[in-house]
Amino acid sequence: MTLLHLSFFSAFTLSSLGLAFHRTHLISALLCLESIILSIYIALSIWPIQTQTSSPSILPILILTFSACEAGTGLALLVAST
Amino acid sequence: MEPALLLNTSMLLTLTILLSPMLLPLLSTKFTNSPTLITRTIKTSFLCSLTPMTLFMYLGTDSITSHWEWKFIQNFKIPLSFKVDQYSMMFFPIALFVTWAILQFATWYMATDPYITKFFSYLLMFLIAMLTLTIANNMFLLFIGWEGVGIMSFLLIGWWQGRAEANTAALQAVLYNRIGDIGLILSMAWLASTINSWELQQTPVTQTQTLPLLGLILAATGKSAQFGLHPWLPAAMEGPTPVSALLHSSTMVVAGIFLLIRTHPMFTNNQTALTLCLCLGALSTLFAATCALTQNDIKKIIAFSTSSQLGLMMVTIGLNLPQLAFLHISTHAFFKAMLFLCSGSIIHNLNGEQDIRKMGGLQNMLPTTTSCLTIGNLALMGTPFLAGFYSKDLIIECLNTSYLNTWALLLTLLATSFTATYTFRMTLLVQTGPIRMSSMTTPDENNPTITNPIIRLALGSVLAGLLITSYIPPSETPPMTMPTTTKTAAILITVLGAILALELSNMTHTMNQPKQNTYMNFSSTLGYFNPLTHRLFTTKLLNSGQKIASHLIDMSWYKKMGPEGLADLQLMATKTSTNLHNGLIKTYLGTFALSILIILLTQT
Repeated sequence: MTLLHLSFFSAFTLSSLGLAFHRTHLISALLCLESIILSIYIALSIWPIQTQTSSPSILPILILTFSACEAGTGLALLVAST
Repeated sequence: MEPALLLNTSMLLTLTILLSPMLLPLLSTKFTNSPTLITRTIKTSFLCSLTPMTLFMYLGTDSITSHWEWKFIQNFKIPLSFKVDQYSMMFFPIALFVTWAILQFATWYMATDPYITKFFSYLLMFLIAMLTLTIANNMFLLFIGWEGVGIMSFLLIGWWQGRAEANTAALQAVLYNRIGDIGLILSMAWLASTINSWELQQTPVTQTQTLPLLGLILAATGKSAQFGLHPWLPAAMEGPTPVSALLHSSTMVVAGIFLLIRTHPMFTNNQTALTLCLCLGALSTLFAATCALTQNDIKKIIAFSTSSQLGLMMVTIGLNLPQLAFLHISTHAFFKAMLFLCSGSIIHNLNGEQDIRKMGGLQNMLPTTTSCLTIGNLALMGTPFLAGFYSKDLIIECLNTSYLNTWALLLTLLATSFTATYTFRMTLLVQTGPIRMSSMTTPDENNPTITNPIIRLALGSVLAGLLITSYIPPSETPPMTMPTTTKTAAILITVLGAILALELSNMTHTMNQPKQNTYMNFSSTLGYFNPLTHRLFTTKLLNSGQKIASHLIDMSWYKKMGPEGLADLQLMATKTSTNLHNGLIKTYLGTFALSILIILLTQT
């Protein structure tokens, strides 16, 4: 596959494995979750440029919103469970 | 001499004389008011107002004058216009005569009051507002007079402001009047939006919608204490006796009926409104008469009697006979004011005793007062050829010979018999019988300030009916032929009520303890109306307010269904699913990693 695809794919896979394997600190798992979302975000931002369509341009904004909520929830859980 | 010019000039002169004690202190500091000065002003004004009355009697002159226009907005004319017609010309001398007598009496009654001049100025201001209401040709000026009498009533009922009951009664009066004012403003708004004028000459006559008429009836219910908005009138007896005599017997309470008389052309063709007036008046008169049967306070008995007569006036309006209602207003003013003045004389002479169970045998101690009390009571009952007879008997005759609601007829006839019963009861307990008061009281009525007004009003009570009916021709033909029973119905029923009263007073001479029964409980608690409405209605309203504002909005929507509700739901789900977890996090994360590796391996 192309270099672009490889970078996204590897970032996503490495973050997911990190989410599964970091068991000492919850915050490292949350950081991996953030990087999953980050890789998806960048992929979604590049995709309209690759396929020369402009309609999916709104998607990164939506993903950003959801990621913010999710990060907030995760941090609240972190704080509540200490 | 042109009669119209003489008419208008003398009317304006009457009003100016009345205004002078109010305005002259503002113009020069050397001018001081005093009670005797105000009494003399009213007397002069009365003599001056006889001119227009005699002009009307002999020449039949009417006039409408327009003096000034309030240029408020371009399309709506609000002139300051006076209507000098039969009603206002008859009302002026009568009101001024009664006020003159009351003010002369009040110089004795309120002699120990430190603010007596302020009292007299308040009474004068009230009178000016009432006469403005009478002479108004448009609804705006009438509304000014209407509000004026309402406010002066509030200030005068609460005259002894240290007394908590007086303050409550004044507040009650002003609140009930306000509810009536809503009706008046409704009709004014309807008139302004439909015919673009507030003049009484331009009101629609042929087919009036019921809505403005309902508003006017509501206004009359509030001001004239018909059933539904009536509790303020007995409570208004907390004010001094001159106030009760002037406001709450002859002048202010008839303002509602007067409004209906003035706007009568609108009512003529609307049978719904007329039937409503009829039934409301019949109910009020019977209710007030029932409540008066078991009252022990002399002023409250006379107050309920006033309320009953006001119901009778409303019945007359419902019969489409405004002129007869006005005749009853005129004759009623004389004997009702006299009854109040007699009761004031009795109260002061007995050192503040108002309970009729503690009076007795006053005929020998206060001969003039009690004779005039008897005359007043006989006139109230409609004794033939006294003042009350000419109006009351005619009303009952018209009732009997009209096509109307039978229930209204029955209630009115029953109320007439009750009138005889309670007046006889009052007379017997106050004037005759053994003396039930303390022997240290020294009643003394040798003061001409007391006796002259009462005797003048007694003369009026005897002659007024005859004079008015002789000189003012009726506008509708009264019923001329009817069966003998119908003709003598009023007298028969009155005599029946009187006999009942005599029998009952004989029964009270035995030493039995009175047992409680339903009817006496109903009558002495004024029909359970006061506690029902004053407590039930307000608690319901405040409860529903609390339910909506505090319970619904604050607690339900912000707590139960908003954020805290969401938290509660989550907590419920969590607590249920905690039991299902085994906590094998290593296995779960291992499966997750395995899935990722499989995805990794299956991608080329």
